[in-house]
Amino acid sequence: MFAAIARVFRTPDLRRKLLFTLAIIAIYRLGVYIPAPGVDYSNVQQCLAAGNTTGGLYQFVNLFSGGALLQVSIFAMGIMPYITASIIVQLLRVVIPRFEELHKEGQSGQAILTQYTRYLTIALGLLQATTLVSLARSGMLFPACDLPIVPDDSIFVIVLMIFTLTAGTGLIMWMGELATERGVGNGMSLLIFVSIASGFPSAMGAIATSQGWGVFTGVILIGVAVIALVVFVEQSQRRIPVQYAKRMIGRRTVGGTSTYIPIKVNMAGVIPVIFASSMLALPSMLVQFNTGSDGTLPGWAMWVQTNFSGSSPLYMATYTLLTIGFTYFYVAITFNPTEVADNMKQYGGFIPGIRAGRPTAAYLEYIISRITFPGALYLAFVALIPLVAFVLINADQNFPFGGTSILIMVGVGLETVKQINAQMQQRHYEGLLR
Amino acid sequence: MDVIKLVLQILLGITSLLLTMLILLHKGRGGGMSDMFGGGMTTSLGSSGVAERNLNRVTVVLGLIWAAVIIGLGLVMRFSIES
Repeated sequence: MFAAIARVFRTPDLRRKLLFTLAIIAIYRLGVYIPAPGVDYSNVQQCLAAGNTTGGLYQFVNLFSGGALLQVSIFAMGIMPYITASIIVQLLRVVIPRFEELHKEGQSGQAILTQYTRYLTIALGLLQATTLVSLARSGMLFPACDLPIVPDDSIFVIVLMIFTLTAGTGLIMWMGELATERGVGNGMSLLIFVSIASGFPSAMGAIATSQGWGVFTGVILIGVAVIALVVFVEQSQRRIPVQYAKRMIGRRTVGGTSTYIPIKVNMAGVIPVIFASSMLALPSMLVQFNTGSDGTLPGWAMWVQTNFSGSSPLYMATYTLLTIGFTYFYVAITFNPTEVADNMKQYGGFIPGIRAGRPTAAYLEYIISRITFPGALYLAFVALIPLVAFVLINADQNFPFGGTSILIMVGVGLETVKQINAQMQQRHYEGLLR
Repeated sequence: MDVIKLVLQILLGITSLLLTMLILLHKGRGGGMSDMFGGGMTTSLGSSGVAERNLNRVTVVLGLIWAAVIIGLGLVMRFSIES
């Protein structure tokens, strides 16, 4: 293992890529600690120390930005606008026929779609920056803290802050793209990985100090078990055998090989969980907006607050159902059996025992819907871990080992190691992991 | 002190706008969401032309100026509070 790591650094090409990625990550983390202009840094720190943030959606977004959001730093938006933009563009494929056309066009169409995503990212970044700055200005960001976060709130400074935060969003996006292009792994997902991982030590420390070392050890053990489970399920796939007919193209024989279509148990990744939790954050946001100035709540808001806050059974049930529903929805969007069947037919491939064309599509659809069921249950289970932990040991909502964070961490980690492996096998035949 | 602050603020506004524009000029890499968490093949063609390389350089320089101006503004603010 260690010899393999040493070998990674002895390969000049790979070393350059790794160092580039590390440099990008370092710049990103550095930017998280630079406050946006106009923000009083010491006041923000005092408010942060006082705790009691608004929770809910902010907590979730804060997780993705690695704590930058609540510090109102120049990278406060983090990678979230890009994630939202790419989800929106992907979903619009179902709604707008032109997007679907572009997607099918191959490389050039994809490039145009990516360009749309980038414009949308800047637009969303502008929107979210405006929201954040107005929240910070009115003191809504830290309701329990009455120190002014933005001391000089003239319109000029406010506009300047919004511009700076938007430029920060763009810069993060570009850094992610650079890391994808010249570094190891996918830059965007690595930046998310770093943001989430940076919250780990403090979360673990909080558990250790508030719950004692016994609970701490328990949490670590559960964490290792969950990671093992996630790795196991992420790697498991069903292989549908495909036989390609031998053909003559010119003077060459093509095909005649047998391969397989790998169908992962969890094809949807973490996105259903992200969807479900952001959907469920909406009711509590509504409550927040409807809270009167003296802290009283209308009747329905009371009901929502008791039934849709973290640990209530109704919340958990809705969360599970939404996650399962979104898993099916997302798999249906990303994997199109008819398209795959048509492609196979075009290149003379068939699944042994199944006729090409429509029977193949039906067969693929049958397999997909069956294999997605355990995948959806697994996703719901992993997503519920932090909620259950919340009840059992009174942990923070951002319980480190569970839900979105663990899925993203493991997913990104596996992907990156796989890419390093592939790079190494070009030279040495022996990868980082066997 | 106020003059320095104003100059820096105007500079920051200009660089922020320029930086956003320049970043949008770049060709996007990576294919979005399915690429990020779903795995899949990223075929990054490493052929970036001269224009792209110059654009990279300009963006990096502008980014550095942007960061320096922000840090400068922070310092100005810090010292103006203390004095």
